[in-house]
Amino acid sequence: MPPAQMDDMEIATNKSMAQRLCNFVVALGVAVLFVYVFLPYLTRSFGVLNRMSQYLDDNGIDPSRYYYTDVEQVQEAEQYLDSVLELD
Amino acid sequence: MAQEDSNVVIDHGQSRLSDLWSKEDYLAIWLGFLVVAVCLIAYLGFGPKAEFAAKIDAAKQVQAAESARAPFKTIAYYTAGDDMKKLKASGETGFGKFISHWTKSPGTWKENPFDSLVFSEEQAKAKNDKAMPAYEEAKGKAAAALAAATVAEEAAAVASFQDQALNEEAAVKIADWRAADKKAASAKSKTANKAYNRIPSLIGLCLFMVVFFGIGIKLMGRSVREFGLGFIIVFLVAVLAYMLGGQSISKQYGIGAEAWGVLLGMIIANSLGTPKWVLPACQVEFFIKTGLVLLGAEVLFSKIMSIGIPGIFVAWVVTPVVLVSTYIFGQTVLKMPSKTLNIVISADMSVCGTSAAIATAAACRAKKEELTLSIGLSLVFTAIMMIAMPAVIKAVGMPEILGGAWMGGTIDATGAVAAAGAFLGEKALYVAATIKMIQNVMIGVTAFCVALYWCMKVEQDGGQTRSVGAGEIWHRFPKFVLGFLAASILFSFLDSNLGKEMSGALIDQGAVRGGTRLLRGWFFALSFAAIGLSTNFRELAKYFKGGKPLILYVCGQSFNLVLTLTMAYIMFYLVFPEITAKI
Repeated sequence: MPPAQMDDMEIATNKSMAQRLCNFVVALGVAVLFVYVFLPYLTRSFGVLNRMSQYLDDNGIDPSRYYYTDVEQVQEAEQYLDSVLELD
Repeated sequence: MAQEDSNVVIDHGQSRLSDLWSKEDYLAIWLGFLVVAVCLIAYLGFGPKAEFAAKIDAAKQVQAAESARAPFKTIAYYTAGDDMKKLKASGETGFGKFISHWTKSPGTWKENPFDSLVFSEEQAKAKNDKAMPAYEEAKGKAAAALAAATVAEEAAAVASFQDQALNEEAAVKIADWRAADKKAASAKSKTANKAYNRIPSLIGLCLFMVVFFGIGIKLMGRSVREFGLGFIIVFLVAVLAYMLGGQSISKQYGIGAEAWGVLLGMIIANSLGTPKWVLPACQVEFFIKTGLVLLGAEVLFSKIMSIGIPGIFVAWVVTPVVLVSTYIFGQTVLKMPSKTLNIVISADMSVCGTSAAIATAAACRAKKEELTLSIGLSLVFTAIMMIAMPAVIKAVGMPEILGGAWMGGTIDATGAVAAAGAFLGEKALYVAATIKMIQNVMIGVTAFCVALYWCMKVEQDGGQTRSVGAGEIWHRFPKFVLGFLAASILFSFLDSNLGKEMSGALIDQGAVRGGTRLLRGWFFALSFAAIGLSTNFRELAKYFKGGKPLILYVCGQSFNLVLTLTMAYIMFYLVFPEITAKI
């Protein structure tokens, strides 16, 4: 959304490069630590999460996909229901 | 006309003929349909239609003969069905292989993020070798199950299929073979890793995107040079987002490329500061609208009847009721200051998460911060519900099918629905995924109704009530929604005319999965990177003031949970128990 937020963005650029780099490293570090350290720790700590993680990995299920055409299991489900219900 | 805001796309003055080649909405339609036309010509015009037709015909003849011969589905019947499922135009045409290669996003990884870009022969071999013992074992079990099924079927055939016990025994053995065969196929896929280097194709894709969107930028009278220069950064952020979102644990919690795109972009924008020369490439709406026109190709109305009438009630009756109720609740009880934020959260929560949020936000011209906030809420609650719902369902002993329908109707993202369903059981997965698919199809109708309502009711001058003429409605209406619907209608028409098998081979496994979907994924990833790069934390925080978006989501989702469970129980257990019994 082009220059709409220019003034806001300038708040960040008013700081020195060292400060901006420091902020960037800290913010990215927190995000990366949360996802790649805390979440795996959480997964290892709880049996149910660990089992789910293993199951998703084994079956190739990706919970981050949001539309049905991105999820292979939907097609499998459709074919199964088509075969047992024979709605046509 | 709504109050002017540089964050929203608003057409000024009267509609003109030149709008067709100079306005973003129309250009999104033309660019989207250019992709659609190329894919349809490649697959329907030059695809192996005659060859597929012969194979489908032969397989159907086998199935018809087997159906006439035996009172249950025989091995030959299933094998013929499998042969039809193997027909995929994308894998058998030069165009399919070409577009699949040049649109590949970074792959998945576990420990080294660079594995998502470059994967060596040695790494691929090591991974395949590791998976081989499991495949060999699964293959052996499948072969044994097939032998047992063959013996049982032959025994039933010797009795001319008149012995009910032998028929039942054969059906059970065949079902066992199908399950073992599925496991073997899944294990086999893990032994098929190949070496890759995605860097050259990503560079090629970036150049293609500059040219592709550059055409639109030029026609809108903006500088293609400035756009191209900034686009490299937007594209790099999207690639990095794909890399970060490709990690297995990140994906497990629903944090994929889209979430990482927004997060990474916001971190850059609010710490380093997005360079001014990048901002001309942050064309959020243009990427979203073009992506939505392509998404229209995936909105097939034939999917609505996939699980019969119960599915219609759970997905198409409950959903609009929850959507409208949540919107009214937000306006009358919570007094949400932003109607656009209210409707985007309502649609996101009630319809199907991110895709519905994108479509609704574009239809009502919501601000990018509102879309970000809605998707953020959805991601958090999706992760919680995906883990909590199967646990609760198991704990209370709820039947699998009811649990599946409940999760399918309430968890936002389709991938998370599949994950939660699979964790509960195979039948729960099938029901949950199908209910969600039916709900997914609703985004076209939702986007159209929201766009129309906004033109006729919400965007009135000064908030005063007055009649709005057809011309003004047309002028205000976001035209890209028509492109979205036109793509949906066109593909639904082709789908129904080609027949299920041919449509599956040429449309679903051709024009969609081997064309429009590949670019649609990239367009949305670019839009999320661009949203992040042009979003200010403080601006975003304003929308969260008072926690009203959170309260709206929680109240709406609670209502959704109660209503969906009630409807699923009534439909699957009281009104149509015969359908439930068959599943």
